[in-house]
Amino acid sequence: MHPDLQQPDAALSAAPSESAMISVRNMSKLYGEFVALDRLNFDVQQGEKIVVLGPSGSGKSTLIRTFNRIEPHDSGSILIDGKVIDEKTNLTQLRCMVGMVFQNYNLFPHLSVLDNCTLAPQLVRNTPKKEAEDMARRFLEQVGIPEQANKYPIQLSGGQQQRVAIARALCMQPEVMLFDEPTAALDPEAITGVVSIMNTLAEQGITTLCVTHEMAFSRHIADKIIFMDRGRILEITPPETFFTTPQTERAQAFLDQMIRY
Amino acid sequence: MFRKSLLAFAISLGVSTALPFAASAQDAAGDVPSFVQNGTLTVCTNPTLPPMTFVKGSDASKPEGMDIDVAQALAQRWHAKLSIIPMDFTGLFPSLGAQRCGMVLSGIIQLPAREKNFDAIAYQDTALTVVARANTAPITSMADLSGKTIAVQSGTSYATRINRENEALTAAGKLPIIIQQYPTEDQVVQQVLIGRVFAFVSQDVELYFRQKQLHGKVRIILKPDYPDYRHFAVYFRKNAQDRIMVQTAIAALEQDGTLQASRQKWSISAQSEQALTQDESASSFNWSAFFSALTSLAFFKGACITLAVALLSHAIAIVISIPMAITLNGRGNSVLKAVLKTYVSVFRGAPTLLQLLFIWNALPQFFPIFREQWFTPFLATLVALAINESAYQVEINRSALSAVDAGQELAADALGMNRKQVYRHVIFPQALRIALPPTINDFISLLKTTSLASVISLQELLAITQVQVARTFEFTEYYAAALVYYLAMVFFFLFLQKRVERRFSWADRKKASANAS
Repeated sequence: MHPDLQQPDAALSAAPSESAMISVRNMSKLYGEFVALDRLNFDVQQGEKIVVLGPSGSGKSTLIRTFNRIEPHDSGSILIDGKVIDEKTNLTQLRCMVGMVFQNYNLFPHLSVLDNCTLAPQLVRNTPKKEAEDMARRFLEQVGIPEQANKYPIQLSGGQQQRVAIARALCMQPEVMLFDEPTAALDPEAITGVVSIMNTLAEQGITTLCVTHEMAFSRHIADKIIFMDRGRILEITPPETFFTTPQTERAQAFLDQMIRY
Repeated sequence: MFRKSLLAFAISLGVSTALPFAASAQDAAGDVPSFVQNGTLTVCTNPTLPPMTFVKGSDASKPEGMDIDVAQALAQRWHAKLSIIPMDFTGLFPSLGAQRCGMVLSGIIQLPAREKNFDAIAYQDTALTVVARANTAPITSMADLSGKTIAVQSGTSYATRINRENEALTAAGKLPIIIQQYPTEDQVVQQVLIGRVFAFVSQDVELYFRQKQLHGKVRIILKPDYPDYRHFAVYFRKNAQDRIMVQTAIAALEQDGTLQASRQKWSISAQSEQALTQDESASSFNWSAFFSALTSLAFFKGACITLAVALLSHAIAIVISIPMAITLNGRGNSVLKAVLKTYVSVFRGAPTLLQLLFIWNALPQFFPIFREQWFTPFLATLVALAINESAYQVEINRSALSAVDAGQELAADALGMNRKQVYRHVIFPQALRIALPPTINDFISLLKTTSLASVISLQELLAITQVQVARTFEFTEYYAAALVYYLAMVFFFLFLQKRVERRFSWADRKKASANAS
């Protein structure tokens, strides 16, 4: 198939799906003249785990950032849990529902680990302090670093900081988690730890979209791989199909590079 | 007391504006000169010229001297309350022009040049004198000063007069007299005492009075006969009717012996001249004067005003500069941004002293509301320094805000915080750490800049010091006391900075660990 052609999904209707957790139709995003996302169409069902793959600059991060409207899209439509995402969307509600973890953790350096986790629930969800702290300790326990609660981020290793970032996002009790290259800045040992936490979350049924080059997660946990290049989706396939028999030459070339390293 | 009279004036102003017809009717009746407004005679004076006008006690807002006696006698005659506004000499005539005072009484020579703009009535004879250190031989004419350096008070007419001598000297092929100008009379005298200049120019009446302080330290070496330097005069805005009334009043005071009594009281007589001849040994540091200055209420009050002006103006500057910094850091170009950029350039570019003088003296010309009594020197200084400081603080805030990682705002946004929460809980606490040291730096600088406000008559620490020096000539002791106050304030804020910086241990791995354990 010609690499420039949009991969059609036979199951997709022209109208957005109300039942899907995320439904994207004909969605585009521009940076001035540059087309960052080019007429994308796909659905993500509740509880699905999606890995977004593709070379740098292909629009992976931009794509997942449109879901919590940190990057507003310019045309087409996005529905999350049946609700239209546009300039009228209540951002507080949306972001309570959609959590995000960044490549560089972006922890608040002036707050302790515990305060990093309790700040937003208290401010945004009006959770009482005591309750927010109990919940934060529970999630810190889940990501395996309950003993670091009173330290400052600067005292933690990269892996530990990313665990805090995950716990911080979970404290908002989101239904969708967005991971933006969460392991790209970590050493192999730390990667294993973070991936196993993501596995646990996935098993708990939280809808997950993850931009990553991490093979273990992509191969064994993901339900679908979205492969992007130059702002377009070239393939949406289950991982076993994608890694063994990619349908586009671009994906094949990308996989060859990925395996070499 | 000064405050109270101001307050009383403000109240009477309020009452009279409610009854404008009654007030103008009284003026038209011709009982009092037109510059006596609402039953108050407001007199501007620079209290650094004993015995005409100076501060004798510790209350800098209550000058004394022959000028003040004359002011009181005139006020009494016109059945008016007297309000004295002490200020820098250079501010006297601009304040008179700006209608901040009705009259200037400050040991000022009657000169034709000044009478072009204002009316003047003489009330006291005087003579110009050239004074040098003791043991200096008398000279015979001003030409003998050729090539020598002399000191005069700036804003006085002495410099102009000596420049005329210089024209003659240059024409005769001789070296001109070198003139140094100082803002107060006592600084002028100091230059002679420490030997920096050969002589100073002053009025004989002042020397008679100062004979105790200057006893044996200086001597009159020449009394040049300048016919137009023979009288001290009161000045007021031109008005033919006022002129007649003031003239009549002064003549009456001379007639009834009021002026003569005042001359006696302040030792303004020819006999006093004889005392200025004997020698005296050099004095050493007077510790008791130093300590009494240090513990005096006047110095404490001055320091409080300095501190209050600096703290308040910086607080205002910080508050207004934060939204300015956020706007300037924002993306794109807008008219608002261009306006803010101009604001920062102008107020960083213009000298602070000029801004002070502009707000105090020029603003009332455009907006008469600023010459009313509520616009006090304190308020004017506050406005000038807050505007000036905000222009600097914008740059500090801007750099501190952009030093906070962009990922912080992103993460806070992703957690659903609104703009206010993002700034309040995430960006400001981190920007504060970066902004604190340069902000304290600026504050210390601002604390010292407040001393400029003495030119618009704010009685801050340095103004108090200068007034006290003019009274006693113990300048080393008073300067030392002022220094102690300034240093104590600065050290306190440096200490405070260290304490606050401890709270920023989160930015340093070692310190964070030490704090946690």
